[in-house]
Amino acid sequence: MHFRLANVLTIARREYLVRVRTRSFKVATIFLVMAAVLVTLAPLAVRWLDRDSTAKVGIYTAATLSFDPIARLDTTVNLPATPGGKGPFTFSTVVDPTAGRAAVEKGDLSAVVDVARDPSGDLAFTIVSKDGPTLKIPTLLRQASSVLATTDRLLRGGYPADKLGSLGVPPSVSVVGPTPPKPGDQPKDFAGEVGSVLTGQALVIFLFMAIILYGQWVAMSVAEEKSSRVMEIVLNAASPFELLAGKVVGVGSLGLTQYATAIVPAVIALLLQDRIASVLLGATAASAAPAASGLTPPLLIAFAVLFVLGFLLYAVLYAAAGSLVSRMEDINSVVAPMTLVGMAGYLIAVYTASGLIPADAGWVVILSYVPFVSPYLMLSRFASGLAGPMDLAIASGLLVVAIVVCLWIAARIYAAGVLTYGQKPSARALFTAAFAHRG
Amino acid sequence: MSLQITDLRKRFGGTQALDGISFAVEPGQVFGFLGANGAGKTTTMRIVLDILRADTGTVTWQGTPSTDLPRRTFGYLPEERGLYPRMQVLEQLVFFAGLYGVPRKTAAADVRGWLARFRVPEYADRRAEELSKGNQQKIQFIAAVLHDPDVLIMDEPFSGLDPVNVALLKAAFLEMRERGKTLIFSTHQMEMVEELCDAVAIIDAGRLVANGTTADVKRSSGKRVVRLGVAGDPELPWLAELDGIRVGRSGRDYSEIEVVPPRDPETILHAAIERGEHVTLFEIADPSLEQIFVDLVGRRAAPDEERTLAHLPANARA
Repeated sequence: MHFRLANVLTIARREYLVRVRTRSFKVATIFLVMAAVLVTLAPLAVRWLDRDSTAKVGIYTAATLSFDPIARLDTTVNLPATPGGKGPFTFSTVVDPTAGRAAVEKGDLSAVVDVARDPSGDLAFTIVSKDGPTLKIPTLLRQASSVLATTDRLLRGGYPADKLGSLGVPPSVSVVGPTPPKPGDQPKDFAGEVGSVLTGQALVIFLFMAIILYGQWVAMSVAEEKSSRVMEIVLNAASPFELLAGKVVGVGSLGLTQYATAIVPAVIALLLQDRIASVLLGATAASAAPAASGLTPPLLIAFAVLFVLGFLLYAVLYAAAGSLVSRMEDINSVVAPMTLVGMAGYLIAVYTASGLIPADAGWVVILSYVPFVSPYLMLSRFASGLAGPMDLAIASGLLVVAIVVCLWIAARIYAAGVLTYGQKPSARALFTAAFAHRG
Repeated sequence: MSLQITDLRKRFGGTQALDGISFAVEPGQVFGFLGANGAGKTTTMRIVLDILRADTGTVTWQGTPSTDLPRRTFGYLPEERGLYPRMQVLEQLVFFAGLYGVPRKTAAADVRGWLARFRVPEYADRRAEELSKGNQQKIQFIAAVLHDPDVLIMDEPFSGLDPVNVALLKAAFLEMRERGKTLIFSTHQMEMVEELCDAVAIIDAGRLVANGTTADVKRSSGKRVVRLGVAGDPELPWLAELDGIRVGRSGRDYSEIEVVPPRDPETILHAAIERGEHVTLFEIADPSLEQIFVDLVGRRAAPDEERTLAHLPANARA
């Protein structure tokens, strides 16, 4: 029998129209639109939440100092990020270290810095804080401690106090990748960095949700046709392959519609980012540190490519899986292997994006080209700037190859599965269905 | 040129479902395809429709192999009834017709025509799951005929229909025959076959056991049936003394007697008169198709049970 595109389109159209009207689709779309806008504005939100926040820190000095530590800190590490703004800390003097600890415990103070003098004569510091040592406040207070220690050493060594000036102001330091920045690349500040990590993670989560959700729809749709026995009517008119293709195209278009619906407001939010920034942060603050947009056009394109290819790969297998069950209740068990593989890729990608797994580890790099997990890992690496267009192209090419192979296998399993009722699919039966020679 | 089915064989695992089935259906015929449960009817139909591939054997319609025929040649009403439960009737019928290439507008108009004809025009906008089983079946019949197929293949079209709907469906059958369409259907209701079918094929365990015009098949056993009515004594105990006969039914008004060759049916009349019976009815007829079926298959045709294991294709077509 010949392949008829018209039938694929007719089947895809039905699939699309029936599902687009369901309430679950509408609710999911609204949720996605809101989530997309939030993700787009995440860098801005981080900045906004951070804008005037100052941590209250108590200083307890058991040692005798020849200078005022608070005044010294306010002119060095506690300078405002923008002219007229506030520094990250509000320092106060604590007279009783026990009361200071209690205040940290209660949350009245973010931290207490306990300044003592050790036997060698140098200053020694104990930072009391609920935050772990690598978090923002303890990290900044370490810097503050070293300014105080240096000041103390200089003064004890006879350095004139009036020449201290801006000696403790941290120099400007930027961290860049090994490749030289292209002209036009905007430098990222801390908030921008957090924003783009969040964006990358969010896109991986969206991709995972989309593939699982729409893949599941394909499997359900196949099982529904089987369990309602409408399959046989359709099969007289269309070949199993047309049916399979129509379903995947129909549900895939539905997914694209949903994501496009979400991306339009996200892009609008992106374009208005500067204006929203100046409203939220004030004109000077917004222009002083331009918002680093997490969601860039190349990232959107990468997302779209990996979405389409990743969905196609999983969807054909979900369809084959759906054709093996006679009852809707059995779907979850047959799709479990695909869901597990997808989940593994997704988790590695999320851990990579959050820094728990080094994104440049050899095995992560290799896996980012391997179909089934590449959609998640390549997206994550692309979002963090570790993979370029060429890497994306290679991963996409391999995905296309995998899709063709899986389609061939899935179409055979599907053709055998759709008219089989009541049998538990065994591995052998699957193998026979997929590879048996047919005259 | 007919629908020619030649030496179909199909094995599912350890079961030989079809073991060399051959028969022909002439264009314009109403053809009864009979067999007990599991005889291979559904498998044969699926192979004719190219939903399933035979291991060996061919199916041709007007000389063209069924694998090369356009899909719209055939209309199919499967035994397992099914519609999209949550789709509106009109919408899904237009969808089915669309798969055969019928434009949406034409299909919609035809659907409304058929619904009116089946006296359910208001169902167009209902969802399939809201309809009774019998009404869903009418919708499925419409799905099978909307694209105006040359050959209509129906697996148990009358099962589950009430008498009013049976009459509506029969009328639709006859009209399709008048328009020159070929109709093939399976059923367990032999009266329906005698009433509607020009020709029949009976299969048993994957083999053809009878085939021909309905009248020929009925006569093929050589048996005749005598209906004998006498005044006064409806039991007729003396019939037991005669050989070559079997009393099929002892009725209130008459007895039905199966007469096996070489006994001549007329000898029964002589015997009755010799015994001084006052004969009120004597009729010689062909045996009913029901009797032929029981003789050939060894059991009565009964409606299928709810199946969990349908005919299982191990490898269907791609």
